[in-house]
Amino acid sequence: MLFQIIVSGLVIGSIYGLIALGYSLIYKSSGLMSFVQGDMLTFGAFLGYTFYGVMGIPFILSFAMVILLMFALGFAIEKGVIHRLVAKNVLPIYTVLATIAISYIIQNGSMVLFGSDIKYFPPVTSIKGIRVLSLNVQTEAALCIAASVVFMILFNFFMNRTPLGTAMRAATMDPMAARACGIDVGLTTGLSWAIASGIAGFAGMLIGPVYGVYTTLGSVIGTKGFSSAVVGGYGNMLGAIVGGVLLGLTETFLSAYVSSAHKDIIAYFILLLFLFVKPTGIFNERAIAD
Amino acid sequence: MLQVEHLTLKFGGLVANNDVSMTVEQGKITGLIGPNGAGKTTFFNSISGVYRPTSGTVTFLGKRIDGLQPYQINQLGMSRTYQVINLFRKMSVVENVMVGMHPHMKQGFFASAFKTRAERREERECYERAYELLDFVNLKDRAFEEAGSLSYGQQRHLEIVRGLASDPKLILLDEPAAGMNSKEKEELNALLYRIIDRGVSILIIEHDMKLMMGVADYLYVLNYGKLLAQGTAAEVQANPQVVKAYLGGDE
Repeated sequence: MLFQIIVSGLVIGSIYGLIALGYSLIYKSSGLMSFVQGDMLTFGAFLGYTFYGVMGIPFILSFAMVILLMFALGFAIEKGVIHRLVAKNVLPIYTVLATIAISYIIQNGSMVLFGSDIKYFPPVTSIKGIRVLSLNVQTEAALCIAASVVFMILFNFFMNRTPLGTAMRAATMDPMAARACGIDVGLTTGLSWAIASGIAGFAGMLIGPVYGVYTTLGSVIGTKGFSSAVVGGYGNMLGAIVGGVLLGLTETFLSAYVSSAHKDIIAYFILLLFLFVKPTGIFNERAIAD
Repeated sequence: MLQVEHLTLKFGGLVANNDVSMTVEQGKITGLIGPNGAGKTTFFNSISGVYRPTSGTVTFLGKRIDGLQPYQINQLGMSRTYQVINLFRKMSVVENVMVGMHPHMKQGFFASAFKTRAERREERECYERAYELLDFVNLKDRAFEEAGSLSYGQQRHLEIVRGLASDPKLILLDEPAAGMNSKEKEELNALLYRIIDRGVSILIIEHDMKLMMGVADYLYVLNYGKLLAQGTAAEVQANPQVVKAYLGGDE
């Protein structure tokens, strides 16, 4: 029982963490809160369902196609909308409004394209479950946790050890100095949105087989991913993951041991309390960018 | 190597740079001086792509660069430092230098995940070059500390070396001696000559006249956005208009 709760907590927690990572990336690169993240997850999950469930393309290939398409979509949104608005020197709040607009367009668009009923992925493998420490775990759940961990390690390597990742970090710390160092900041900002969107598609492909796919799948996850990012320290990459896992575990434990009807009430009371105790988030992200 | 002709920059009705022409020669230290608010930093911003000149031309190594983006100008071989230190404070010292090398690291998005032997060698060479550059300003043993933890003078040196990391032909230094103590100024003085020895020409803004008169091969004086005088240190010092601009008063 306890083991099953931890597994479900980690599954949803890693999804929150991935979405939170996207929020942090976008915040760091554009200084904005984007409302699109959750719906990107939905859209990615629908694309994945279409490729894998309807067209019968192998899962791994569908997975790769979803990530690439979402990556391109994120880049297009930044270049087509966000960058243009920012260039007009409007108040940031107008750009945030634009992300709300895009969020609804994607949500409603998904409903028109894919229908409003819940879609179930065919099983990802013929293996029903794997045994960990003599306990059964649903294959999809194990895949979700494993893929998230692998992704986070690779992402960390990319950001800290590769020239492009280093350039992206430099561009978020000080765009002006980064330009003077020969970095195309417009490109790195676009890439940040592209990666955030790609991650959302990645998360959608992981959670779709576990939960099923429906048009509002991402909107709740989006809000909770945002909460995770704030708890971890908004803009902090490691904080996003830790915040997500903490929130996922808290929720799951509450619904198992207290009441599943009241889990959100209690979880978010705890979150409010947390904000008062530690308003900088777990990893102490300061309000003013360094 | 750098020719600026009739450069004018207006912000609405305010003329920040008015018909400024100058030449920076290869292998020389060219100085730009003038009272506060004379438009020196604005001039740097106009030639490094931060601002687009209202009129006039900037030619660098035979290429028109006015209107280009800062990162493009950097990639053509001109780097710069800022009046206010602009390091990536939360990155390590060596990472700052690596960011400076950015234009030379042409790697595909996926290439870094699946490295070929050549790419791995390139990466190793990058580290070696970064250490060599840090050694150049005696910061090698601080390589893995946060850039923000360095002393003021060391941060200035790191910023200069980050500018050198892209192997520029010309480096623009905006008040590098500001806030330095006299020992650090002496080190800077020596560093400027060693930069020239590396084959990098220098265009420098500085308020420290003792330093400027000592190192600059040729000086330009800006006042109210206009070129007031030019010449060697001795010629400029002897120019009554320059003396008047600096000391104020009306004869």
